[in-house]
Amino acid sequence: MPEELKDKIESTVSKVMRTPRKLDIEITSRCNLRCRYCYFFHNPAVDYRDLPTEEWLKFFDELGSLGVMDVTLAGGEPFIREDLTSLLEGLVRNRMRFSLLSNGALIDDEIAAFLARTGRCECVQISVDGSFAVVHDTCRGQGSFDGAIRGIRTLQRHRISVAVRVTIHRHNIDDLENIAHFLLEELGLPGFGTNSAGYMGTCRLNADDVMLTSAERQLVMATLLRLTAKYAGRISASAGPLADGRMWHRMEEARAQGKPTFHNGGRLTACGCPSSKIAVRADGAIVPCNMLNHIELGRINHDSLAEIWQNSPALNQLRSRHTIPLTNFKFCADCQYIPYCTGNCPGLAYTITGQVDHPSPDACLRRFLEEGGAIP
Amino acid sequence: MNQMDRPIANPIVVLREEFDDWAVLFNPETAYALGTNPVGVAVWKLMDGRMSIEEIVAKIKNSFEDSPDATVKEITTFVDKLTENGFVGLEVESK
Repeated sequence: MPEELKDKIESTVSKVMRTPRKLDIEITSRCNLRCRYCYFFHNPAVDYRDLPTEEWLKFFDELGSLGVMDVTLAGGEPFIREDLTSLLEGLVRNRMRFSLLSNGALIDDEIAAFLARTGRCECVQISVDGSFAVVHDTCRGQGSFDGAIRGIRTLQRHRISVAVRVTIHRHNIDDLENIAHFLLEELGLPGFGTNSAGYMGTCRLNADDVMLTSAERQLVMATLLRLTAKYAGRISASAGPLADGRMWHRMEEARAQGKPTFHNGGRLTACGCPSSKIAVRADGAIVPCNMLNHIELGRINHDSLAEIWQNSPALNQLRSRHTIPLTNFKFCADCQYIPYCTGNCPGLAYTITGQVDHPSPDACLRRFLEEGGAIP
Repeated sequence: MNQMDRPIANPIVVLREEFDDWAVLFNPETAYALGTNPVGVAVWKLMDGRMSIEEIVAKIKNSFEDSPDATVKEITTFVDKLTENGFVGLEVESK
């Protein structure tokens, strides 16, 4: 997409488009793995069941009529669905592009060739958490590393764009340099993204074992900042230690120099998702985002997506979240970083505090510093 | 491109009228998207393979008040850009 169009979209994101431009769909609640930090499983609000092919195809016809451009299929593991090719044909028939989020293990030549033939596959994202099996398999299960790498190589053979996501947890922090070398130099990927295990789903049950302490977070931020300098422009993050490290560095610099409030600072502005996209759970519940799976807005093929998009009180409340000042919260009392803070992810705010309209403690710079952390 | 050529919108292209003053044309086969304004949307909807560019320009001039003199050039440039990016095919006027 041209830069000027991206800018236009960004600049108008506070307005609401007539229909969503993108959808995130959990196309299945089944998975061949049981990762210890998975956000998806162990969510008490979710009914873990799958819909039949026909239900999804009918819904995809509705998406086509609304002019939806991109759909991301996740799960669970999307490649576990026996009807995946029929589902993807439904997306193609309705003039959409698609991406898939996968662990890679179920990708074979047959399905990769199919993806290539559609000409509509934006990318397949594969999770890789280590440069070798012992590290990767610690949280994702024995044999999962070999499956992921086999999946990546299969996709590469069929010239399908591969995006790798590295989820950082307590067991791979010493392997980050090797992971970067492995992904960028040995596998020859153009880049990869990073995140960290967040306090959601299964991760909540294993938090002490997988989530980073403040000291580990500091170490990881320093390592990733060094690696991003080494591999210029090839390591990205929209959340997690790298994103936090960059943001907190800007915030501390602004505070120290007494800079004016950031244009999106001082209010709960972090999440722009409900202005351009919406999500669907595997059981067909329409939700604002898969990080907010407990907020049911309606059900596919029973409720009009356009009606929900334009008039849902819950969705509109989420969209107006950006007007709530951080000074409203006791949590933020006397914080010097308020003018530069956006409150971060409402999904994490909810799982940690029980409130969507609350800043996320996970992304709180002051708390990080009070716990002994330092900005690299 | 000749003013008598008859443009045909590629049926695979998605038109999204986002807001009052802005729309997007999106080709899912190439992932290329093009932003446009209400005049562009009106032109897009007239490209059915039956009307020539000259006829489309005349219709637009009638539909929008105070059309500037540059309208012909702007519409021609717009159709050129759409053609180059596979958004539009042309029924070429035979000589």
